Amino acid sequence: MDYARPELAEALAAEYVAGTRRGPARRRFEALLASHPGLQRAVRDWQARLMPLTVAVQPEAPPAHVWAKLERRLWPSDAKAPAPWWQRLALWRAVAGLATVAAVGFAVPLASPPPARAPVLVVLQATEGQSAGSFVASVSADGRALVTRPIQPVSLAADRALELWSVPPQGAPVSLGLIKADGTTVLARDKLPPALLTGGTAALAVSVEPPGGSPTGAPTGPVVYAGKLQS
Amino acid sequence: MKTPAPDWPEKSRELSQLLARCGLGDRAAFARLYEATSAHLFGVLLRIQRDRASAEDLLQEVYVSVWKAAAGFDAARAQPLTWLTSIARNKAIDSLRRAQAQPQLESTTRDDDDDRPDAAEAWADDGPGPLELLGQASDARQLGRCIEHLSPPQRQSVALAFFDGLSHAEVAERLREPLGTVKSWVRRALMSLKTCLERSVLRDSAGPV
Repeated sequence: MDYARPELAEALAAEYVAGTRRGPARRRFEALLASHPGLQRAVRDWQARLMPLTVAVQPEAPPAHVWAKLERRLWPSDAKAPAPWWQRLALWRAVAGLATVAAVGFAVPLASPPPARAPVLVVLQATEGQSAGSFVASVSADGRALVTRPIQPVSLAADRALELWSVPPQGAPVSLGLIKADGTTVLARDKLPPALLTGGTAALAVSVEPPGGSPTGAPTGPVVYAGKLQS
Repeated sequence: MKTPAPDWPEKSRELSQLLARCGLGDRAAFARLYEATSAHLFGVLLRIQRDRASAEDLLQEVYVSVWKAAAGFDAARAQPLTWLTSIARNKAIDSLRRAQAQPQLESTTRDDDDDRPDAAEAWADDGPGPLELLGQASDARQLGRCIEHLSPPQRQSVALAFFDGLSHAEVAERLREPLGTVKSWVRRALMSLKTCLERSVLRDSAGPV
């Protein structure tokens, strides 16, 4: 076939642009286009003639997620959402974890009868921007009981509460309940996560929340104390 | 709420500038271009690729291609909306081939121009039919009078093919006409439009008599 013949080029280009040239024939034509300027010209002319017909097609705004996906795909390094706070805690760079705190007396026994193995003490240090103080959490050796206490009294606004979170190695933190800013709190046993001392919890953290705790199931206020569990 | 149909030549300058900026990597220009044209292109895609999820994926592909090819867009050779719509239509037509999951049905009207075996899904249409669209499109400048010159079966065949992406064989099935007849209707319709449009251009450039 001589694609330089204008009538043939016209006919093929017309069918290609109109959409009636399909399947293998269409693909063959597209392969030809690359090296035939005459065909390219004919195709452009037919596009100029026919595309304006689409002015009659009813426009429809695409859903927002199409743009969101497009943006992420074209410019992936533009990630707008910062890493969640539990991955950004400066804490991870510090040596944290098992207590270097000397005698910390817990008035409340962790279990009865007293466990044979010593409880694990986790110091929750003040995070960046907090002035001072720390909490200590005492976890029974079997991971089934947890008690917290501030080492120094913590001042807290009247309309705020402290909430304790278990931060897993992956995924979002899980609430363990509210803790007192002064005095000892015994956490409810049924709220403790499984495998607390065996890898289920990477860290414990305390956030400041409205009374009654976070309404969303995730920390909403600043994280003021955090302590890593040694794995 | 229906967004207004694009004004083909009027918007050309703005869109050409946006495309040029996209070619230089201007992301804000690209966002503006998407905002200005995506509803039109999505509408065009949906008529051909009726599966909505596929149409959404296609729209993404279209704009990825646009972003990559923007630097090569030549405003002297084509109008931006023509260029954009052509990209969209080509991807939509190609997607019909990929969407083919079921085995080829034996069709008496199959020919080698054709790759979609079953036109039944194209029949369910809750928007304006392709013929209606052709009638509405005739408001667009020279096309108007030229479409009037087509015979009704020519108009119907080219409308089905162009707007709904039906192949010759599918148009033949829909109109219950022989394949050869439909092919010749489409070809004659296209050639008639071409001749008529060329005459209009000559007439307009000649000025008032």
